[in-house]
Amino acid sequence: MRVTGATKRKEKVNWPATIVLSLVAIFVIILPLYITVIIALKSPTDMNNLLALPKKIRWENFSDAWKMTDYPRKFMNTAFITVINMVFTVITNSAVAYAITRNRKKSRFFNMMYYYFISAMFIPFNVLMLPLVKQAYTFHIDNVVGITFLYIVFGLPMNTFLYTGYIKSVPEALDEAATIDGANPIQIFFYVIFPILKPMSATVAILSFMWTWNDFLMPLILLSKQEQQTLQLAQYVFQGQFNTQYNLAFASYLLVLAPILILYIFFQKWIISGVASGAVKQ
Amino acid sequence: MKKKIISLFLAGTMVTGMLAVNANAADAVDLELFSTKSENVSTLQGLIDKFTEANPGVTITITAPSDAGTVLKTRLTKNDIPDIIACGGDATYTELQSAGVLEDLSGEDYLSSIQDAYWQMLYDVNKEKEETAYGVPYATNASGILYNKDIFEQAGVEVPETWTELQSVVDTLEAAGIQPFELTFKDNWTCLPPWNSMAPVIPAANFTDERKAGNTTFVGTHEEILEKYAYLLEHAQKDYMGTTYSDGNKLFAEGNAAMMINGNWAIPEFLNSNADMNVDMFAFPSTDDASKNTITSGIDVLLAVSSQSDDAKKAAAKEFISFMIDAENAQQYIDEQFAFSAVIGVEQTNETVASAQAAISEGKVSNFPDHYYPSGFDLASILSEFALNVTNGMDLEENIQSTLATCDEQYDVANVE
Amino acid sequence: MKRKKINIAFYIITIPMAVLFFMFHTFPFLQGIFYSFTDWKGYGNWNFVGLRNYLQIFKDPNVIKSYLFTFKFAFFATILVNIFSLMLACGLNSKIKGKNLLRAVYFLPYMLGVLIIGYVFNFIFANLVPMVGEFLNIEALKVNILGTKHAWIGVLIVTIWQSLAFNTLIYISGLQTVDRDLYEAADLDGAIGLKRFFKITFPLIAPFFTINMVLCVKGFLMAFDQFMAMTGGGPGTSTTTISLLIYKKGFQGAQFAYQSANAVLLFIVVVTISIFQLKVLEGREEKVN
Repeated sequence: MRVTGATKRKEKVNWPATIVLSLVAIFVIILPLYITVIIALKSPTDMNNLLALPKKIRWENFSDAWKMTDYPRKFMNTAFITVINMVFTVITNSAVAYAITRNRKKSRFFNMMYYYFISAMFIPFNVLMLPLVKQAYTFHIDNVVGITFLYIVFGLPMNTFLYTGYIKSVPEALDEAATIDGANPIQIFFYVIFPILKPMSATVAILSFMWTWNDFLMPLILLSKQEQQTLQLAQYVFQGQFNTQYNLAFASYLLVLAPILILYIFFQKWIISGVASGAVKQ
Repeated sequence: MKKKIISLFLAGTMVTGMLAVNANAADAVDLELFSTKSENVSTLQGLIDKFTEANPGVTITITAPSDAGTVLKTRLTKNDIPDIIACGGDATYTELQSAGVLEDLSGEDYLSSIQDAYWQMLYDVNKEKEETAYGVPYATNASGILYNKDIFEQAGVEVPETWTELQSVVDTLEAAGIQPFELTFKDNWTCLPPWNSMAPVIPAANFTDERKAGNTTFVGTHEEILEKYAYLLEHAQKDYMGTTYSDGNKLFAEGNAAMMINGNWAIPEFLNSNADMNVDMFAFPSTDDASKNTITSGIDVLLAVSSQSDDAKKAAAKEFISFMIDAENAQQYIDEQFAFSAVIGVEQTNETVASAQAAISEGKVSNFPDHYYPSGFDLASILSEFALNVTNGMDLEENIQSTLATCDEQYDVANVE
Repeated sequence: MKRKKINIAFYIITIPMAVLFFMFHTFPFLQGIFYSFTDWKGYGNWNFVGLRNYLQIFKDPNVIKSYLFTFKFAFFATILVNIFSLMLACGLNSKIKGKNLLRAVYFLPYMLGVLIIGYVFNFIFANLVPMVGEFLNIEALKVNILGTKHAWIGVLIVTIWQSLAFNTLIYISGLQTVDRDLYEAADLDGAIGLKRFFKITFPLIAPFFTINMVLCVKGFLMAFDQFMAMTGGGPGTSTTTISLLIYKKGFQGAQFAYQSANAVLLFIVVVTISIFQLKVLEGREEKVN
């Protein structure tokens, strides 16, 4: 942190900081993940030294976990929820935010909508939990499709907030020019505005993806049927059946972590900057 | 764009629709069996496979989540009741039964195959003790002290029949450097078995009814139980608060301790870890009067059908129950689970639970007291707190008094209708 | 700006979403408030009971205990996460080798679900830490911390582990807005190290501190997943958070309406704390600036 050679533009590499940060990263972040991986690869008889590399890699842990938790089905459910939610959230929420931002000053209705959505950010999910479970019965939303729909709706306050801030910075002259050319607001939004919103849409997409992929509470109370469960929920459900088969359990955890780790390795920079720009806007 | 959204949404819906529905014939019936015990999943699966082989039009999926009681109640709130429910004859059952979501099974011809004593036990947990079969008692359990026969033999100790004898067994074991008890209190519910063994014996026999009517309290009647409870804790392994049920079972099976206070349902778990283990069970010697001490036994699994399912599902579900009660299948269930059957003529012959079977045959059994406590009364957490206080070195007398006072307080809160 | 008629298309975009939002978000919220004044079990008949549920909450030791515990947890988690993430952000923002790699590593925990992280640490606390404790002969480490009165600290560690990434990211964004020239001026004035941090850097990133504090407090007051995974609210009820209590007891018939009242109370608490924080922290920022 300390800058040496105060007036020089070119700073020297801060070696103490580099070393400390690397050591902490290895012991605090990497070590638990390392343990997860090696336990998933070991056989139950090879658990005396927990930190040692497996004597022989036991791939059956993965195939057993795959079969036991019905991984393909759970993966498809989770992927359906995350992808559909991501796509629809970006399209619908940005459109709503656009309509609101452009008309807030002109119309009390849109101004009211703005405050309506924004104030809903203060209502934590846990407060809705009990009545929502009752409602799940009336509207049959206790399934994969229903929960996807709920995620799209529940993301609205946050995303309206993120988008309105961004749309404000898009000059209205663009809309006006397009209107003169005879475009209607829906065309203007899709052909003119939506492409400009790309950076913010990326942020919203990443945040929604992370939220739905890792969410546990909403699936827990809504998705009770075995064939409707998400990956996260399945880990909880099978906890009792994994028993002391830690190798099996960890293989199963790793199967859930793997898709997101792979995405992260490839899109790491993109994800970090996307989350950062969203986080700061909050 | 609305059209676009709608069509996209429809496309999405269809995709999941295809995911959710198996491509099976028009008259196929998909049933969901909800089990509150994760220990019996593989046995149930085996029986289901046998059933579906004979009934190709039916598929049955098992759901057995962790913390099944809460999950089942969540589903009750959603009115999303599994077609077949396999749960204990406890407060969870009472909750379902009093919500009116269970099918009245009176009139099914297989009801006569069940022993009368277990019908009585079931009626006792029905709302207002209604004498109607909303479920079929299937398997019963036995809870007491599980012990490693080889260790007992090696240490030269006999099965204790009185509290004093138990203490001397503990002393002998400790002198030989053997850990007397393995306790697994990281999982709250395992705090219950010692209480459930002593509570039917030590306080007055009619305590549960009297307590319900508000004529007596835990304070003044249950002190002795907690004193003995504290004794067990003193002679358990060091980290009994941090040991999970699964880990503890494994350690016990590997011979790390001589005794474990739990039920027959844990035996398959031991044998999973160590197939050669020599294990048996004896009645918890709650008092010094050997004739008073009992095994605690109750309905471990009853089978019930949801009244909310459609008729085809109900019929298939009843068919499945009838299949389960069939002597051959009932035998398979208890053999694999080391459980006891409620079905007349189906006997547990495995010597691993021979003493428990003997106690049951002699009628030296009492009911699980916690099956009669109100559903919101979380005794397991209270006992876990008690054990935690012990590890923290709290004065025992003070700990006992405050624990029992909490019992009374929470019981009253939960007992309000 | 000209006063123009608003194109109907804007209403077509907004109204359906608003209606859906009302149906599935606002309506359940209002329903919850409604239930909290009844004795409904979630099924069957019900009566209005006025404020009975609310009065009962303040007498119920379970609820009071869970509130106190949740406050304690949120307080320590917020403070520690902010201290560590600020330190980490400063480190990652300085001139270090392999900056991008290190950032990527430190951000990794944010990608992983709390539930699974909880399970992994469960194993570490139950098996690995006691082994290390035996090896080093440290009494306190020999037992599973999750089975002691310090169980909450175990959960706290995992919470910090997981939350650090997001907050660090916010602080890094903040630090990047600080003009390097200011540091040079400060160095000339002899303000270096910690002194420079508190005199110059911190006031400049104060808005980011505000964001972090508000997000942390709100998030930690709702803590659920990590407790489900690691302690289930135990030992005893010592780590039962408000959310856990609502989940565990709310679905038990007799407590449905009662826990609805608890949820409403939770809402009031969260809103009050968030607004209070924004007011106080923003006020302080203005003073500093």
